[in-house]
Amino acid sequence: MDLKDIKAIIDLMKKNSVSEFELEKQDFKIRLKRGMGGGNGGAVQYEEAPVLTYTPAPAVIAAPASPTPSGIPAPATASNELDVKSPMIGTFYRSPSPESAAYVEVGAEVGPDTVVCIIEAMKVMNEIKAEVRGVITQVLMENGKPVEFGQPLFKVRPT
Amino acid sequence: MFEKILVANRGEIAVRIIRACKELNIRTVAVYSEVDANSMHVQMADEAICIGKAAASESYLRIDRIISAAEIADVDAIHPGYGFLSENAHFAEVCESCNIRFIGPSARAMSALEDKAVSRALAKKAGVPIPPGSEGIVENEKDALAIAKRIGYPVMIKAVAGGGGRGMRIAHNDISLVKGFHTARTEAEKCFGNSGVYIEKFIENPHHIEFQILGDGKGNIIHLGERDCSIQRRNQKLIEETPSPLIANKYPKLREKMGKAAIRIAELANYTNAGTVEFIVDDAGNYYFLEVNKRIQVEHPITEEVTGVDLVRYQIEIAMGEPLRHRQGDIKFTGHAIECRVNAENPFDDFRPSPGRIEMYYQPGGHGVRVDTHAYAGYTVPPTYDSMIGKLVTYGKDRREALDRMSRALNEYMLTGVKTTMSFQQAILQDPNFRRGVYSTNFVEQLLSGARREFIEEKA
Repeated sequence: MDLKDIKAIIDLMKKNSVSEFELEKQDFKIRLKRGMGGGNGGAVQYEEAPVLTYTPAPAVIAAPASPTPSGIPAPATASNELDVKSPMIGTFYRSPSPESAAYVEVGAEVGPDTVVCIIEAMKVMNEIKAEVRGVITQVLMENGKPVEFGQPLFKVRPT
Repeated sequence: MFEKILVANRGEIAVRIIRACKELNIRTVAVYSEVDANSMHVQMADEAICIGKAAASESYLRIDRIISAAEIADVDAIHPGYGFLSENAHFAEVCESCNIRFIGPSARAMSALEDKAVSRALAKKAGVPIPPGSEGIVENEKDALAIAKRIGYPVMIKAVAGGGGRGMRIAHNDISLVKGFHTARTEAEKCFGNSGVYIEKFIENPHHIEFQILGDGKGNIIHLGERDCSIQRRNQKLIEETPSPLIANKYPKLREKMGKAAIRIAELANYTNAGTVEFIVDDAGNYYFLEVNKRIQVEHPITEEVTGVDLVRYQIEIAMGEPLRHRQGDIKFTGHAIECRVNAENPFDDFRPSPGRIEMYYQPGGHGVRVDTHAYAGYTVPPTYDSMIGKLVTYGKDRREALDRMSRALNEYMLTGVKTTMSFQQAILQDPNFRRGVYSTNFVEQLLSGARREFIEEKA
């Protein structure tokens, strides 16, 4: 992916009022976000094969990340939003069982003791609580995906 | 054949293990604490999983999190490195019950050597000399005094569950014995949760000489020679070398004798994979068994250099069920190797830890120079873990060449932003007694008390 392609995508986004675009391929991932109310309009982050998040590298020879502390900027957040982060390592599930509805969706009001998801480790289903009072603004993880310690799971706007 | 191995460690040993895996075409999974996110082992591994906050108790020692990580990454085996969980029999058991191969001795072999008292009893059974002392734990003052009378002063009071030089006291007479007995028990309780102490004869001018062993679990155990680790400060090794000058110059027959003794002990314990049998040797060439380290050791590179055997690779192969490719007679020793542990400590400030960001970094190279490290320019050495940032190893066709090369390499090693022990190690290398190969574990103490400051130059 080069600059020409990125510009083309940005133009398309502007034309069609798309605010967020994400593309993940074999050895790179790109995420474009158009400014939210005077923030960082069109902040571009270009990541090489990520080392901080758990992602199975499909290539036989993984693209080596540069061995200097990389300042990968965090995705643009409205300043008062908080992350609900994973306190453990395991598999993330959005609902108590495959047939049930998800614990929370975007817009759900949560309190500190509200169960927001399950993280399964060693066949034990652990209920994860929100630990904050607010409204879910984003679900950051996909159902059934592995999560590591500290991984952001939901964005919450505290009330 | 393993497809994937999880490295349950950090720093230079994690890098070392990942290298061995890459050479065997085995995929690697690194685990790391939040403060190690930019660490070299995380960059080098194929996959990396964050397992907790900085404190080891919240991350590298968390069996539950490491096993969870092993599960979601679907690994075949775990290499525990050294320190952390490497000698934790419970962790080995958990791995076994989760169908994950633990790269090291079996939980059973670990239990057979679980503490110093048990190991000494095993050594005795193997007919290997142990330092004269108590049969097992000393229960009270009266017994302590009786034992000291029997074996003669000076004596050493040691914690059975001890390690890293803690929970030890020397006594030269009855008064200091009683005092030392009680303080050692208190310290042992505090540090290891076990107040049990035993007493053994204190060997003056002791030499710390250890033997590398490898067992394949199919009845083959060999030794790969000795390492002399007498250059220690407060029971922390600073420089190691092989062959041991004491053995090479004065008692050449000891290598075979002690090697065989090490194997006998390993056989009795049904030991598998890599391990190290530690001995203490006095100036007269009498050797006594100390303990068995049931893991790969920091100083393993010097054995690799003189034998040509890749020990970490062997660990993985043995864990995969392969028999040893070498018989004892196949192990040949060529040349001389020395290692300096490069610690981020300030030798001018009582070796205070010196964490911080490494600004400029250039490591030495050339023929016969090996650097095992996780350091790089821009890397921040965290204050949370031990201060060793790398190992500088030199090889030469004889001791003189290895020493000269080490001197040259130490001068070449450029590291700014943190203080290191290298200037102190250079001073040791210039010391006439060290150069003659005449030293014991008292060496560093003596050097520091009569420190010739002009030899210890502070690097910019």
